[in-house]
Amino acid sequence: MAELTNPVPDAALRLPMQRVDHPSAPSRAGMMQFKQASVLPGFNLALGYTVVYLSLIVLLPLSALVLKTTSLSWSAFWQVVTADQVMAAYRLTFGASLLAAVINLFAGLLVAWVLVRYEFVGKRLIDALVDLPFALPTAVAGIALTTLYAPNGLIGEWLVPLGIQVAFKPLGIVVALTFIGLPFVVRTVQPVLQDLEAELEEAAACLGASRWQTFRKVIFPATVPALLTGFTLAFARAVGEYGSVIFIAGNIPFESEIVPLLIIGKLEQYDYAGATAIATVMLVISFGLIFLINLIQWWHTRRHGMRK
Amino acid sequence: MSIEIQSIAKHFGAFTALDNVNLKVETGELLALLGPSGCGKTTLLRIIAGLETPDAGQIHFHGEDTTDRHVRERQVGFVFQHYALFRHMTVFENVAFGLRVRPKHTRPSDKEIKRRVHELLNLVQLDWLADRYPAQLSGGQRQRIALARALAVEPKVLLLDEPFGALDTKVRKELRRWLKRLHEEVNVTSVFVTHDQEEALEVADRVVVMNKGRIEQVGTPEQVYDTPATPFVYQFLGDVNLFHSRVHGSFTQVGEHPIPNDSAVAYVRPHDIEILREPNQQTLVAAVDHVRTIGSTVRLELRLENGDPVEAELSRDAFALNRYTSGERVYIRPRTARVFAEDFTI
Repeated sequence: MAELTNPVPDAALRLPMQRVDHPSAPSRAGMMQFKQASVLPGFNLALGYTVVYLSLIVLLPLSALVLKTTSLSWSAFWQVVTADQVMAAYRLTFGASLLAAVINLFAGLLVAWVLVRYEFVGKRLIDALVDLPFALPTAVAGIALTTLYAPNGLIGEWLVPLGIQVAFKPLGIVVALTFIGLPFVVRTVQPVLQDLEAELEEAAACLGASRWQTFRKVIFPATVPALLTGFTLAFARAVGEYGSVIFIAGNIPFESEIVPLLIIGKLEQYDYAGATAIATVMLVISFGLIFLINLIQWWHTRRHGMRK
Repeated sequence: MSIEIQSIAKHFGAFTALDNVNLKVETGELLALLGPSGCGKTTLLRIIAGLETPDAGQIHFHGEDTTDRHVRERQVGFVFQHYALFRHMTVFENVAFGLRVRPKHTRPSDKEIKRRVHELLNLVQLDWLADRYPAQLSGGQRQRIALARALAVEPKVLLLDEPFGALDTKVRKELRRWLKRLHEEVNVTSVFVTHDQEEALEVADRVVVMNKGRIEQVGTPEQVYDTPATPFVYQFLGDVNLFHSRVHGSFTQVGEHPIPNDSAVAYVRPHDIEILREPNQQTLVAAVDHVRTIGSTVRLELRLENGDPVEAELSRDAFALNRYTSGERVYIRPRTARVFAEDFTI
């Protein structure tokens, strides 16, 4: 997953500078605006393939979704997507996903740190455990979590007397989303921590920085781009999650009903246009949020110059 | 601030990195630790800094035992081979780092920090780069920034680990002279590690030649080059020809000095080989194999009668007087040589 930490903007930044030095560059500048000069062959072929592939696999189904939505009139569309029950579901889905991604941001950094920095018995096992939420069928995860957190479950029976009810409440949704999102943060941050030279910490120590100052001012900022990537992935995964949530959520309208469940509900009632209308709104919000995070990341990489 | 290194030993598993090393670095001097890779020079530097703990022995800073003191409290400036600049900070913030992490009651004001950082950046002649990020600098610039950062905390000792190792030859030469001048200006006790003998001889006040975890010789650049204490030092500081008394007889007897025994080895530098057209009792016959002009000097590859190669170096002027050609038969004689007993093996 190391490649997710964005080497691309570097190349994009460096190329224009090289071209200025090139004697033949000015005369060709007109036609070279779109395609940068590069020694790598096959740009046209590769870009063509990328566009076709993305169109077939990603854009085509999404266009169909939007197209189906247009069978509704504008007012009907607005009525469907702004219904109180739907609005509550949006708030819950995005809120719980954001919260879960934030929790994973900290927990994931900690797990990655432990896995990279310390040697201990069972490290390989823990390393493998991290991937489990990737591999496990989400329904299994949902059932397992529900069994644990239900009022008569292993953990639930201790929490409920304290007034904390997890299963069948929004809190349960956050727990499930945290579970499935953890590997994204760990697996993006881990390689970055691994590549961080020990010399940086030694340099900080020589300059008089304490362990905490070294972490806060030297190590943490270096992991920010990877953390953002991990956060985005965990968030995106959580927004679309269905399987694990429906078991633990209880699915009470206005309280613990997530958007994907609403969509399924509409489909089961053969209300295809209504389902796609909600889905389209979901799509736009998700894309907007992810695009925003990518912008922040791009700005961050640009501001701090190229890596290395 | 003088540094005293007493009976330092360090092992990495079965490997002995340092074996009972004793050394005194005088206040204000610029000392070079010179040796091949794996000789323990970097380990010694890291032990002085406190980045590594010795298995035995003590480090004294100005008479005070600092062996168990943490790096943070030793007040050493350390410059790494690969710069170790903080990539997400500007040049200014990199240099200011050491001041900003101080506890509140000793931390200078923002204005004072600004003044100090610009003063240091001026010292390394890079004030105009203050707002750049390390990625936007060349290697030579990065190393100068790393040096400014190390000096910002007003270290009592400056330690440099192969500071110019990652730079190309031309930049390296410039920075060497610059470091020498800078040291004269700030005059802080400095130790630098290098495997480049030219660098050590040019920059340092004194050179410590190390091999296999031990110190072979300590002396001024002239001392170690002209009167090497051991065959290793001789070989490490420049090219050398070996002549065995058993084989080459009276050749190895230079001047009045008799050969200690009949199994001695004479070490002769290429520029100390004299080439003659007429024989005398001390000469050996040789054939010229190749003549190469390398910048200001001419290097002759010669071959003795028994097939052993010998290298000789002449200045261009000296070569112009005689113009030896390959295939020619000549007679060679050492101007000066150092003779060691043969039991030494490399």
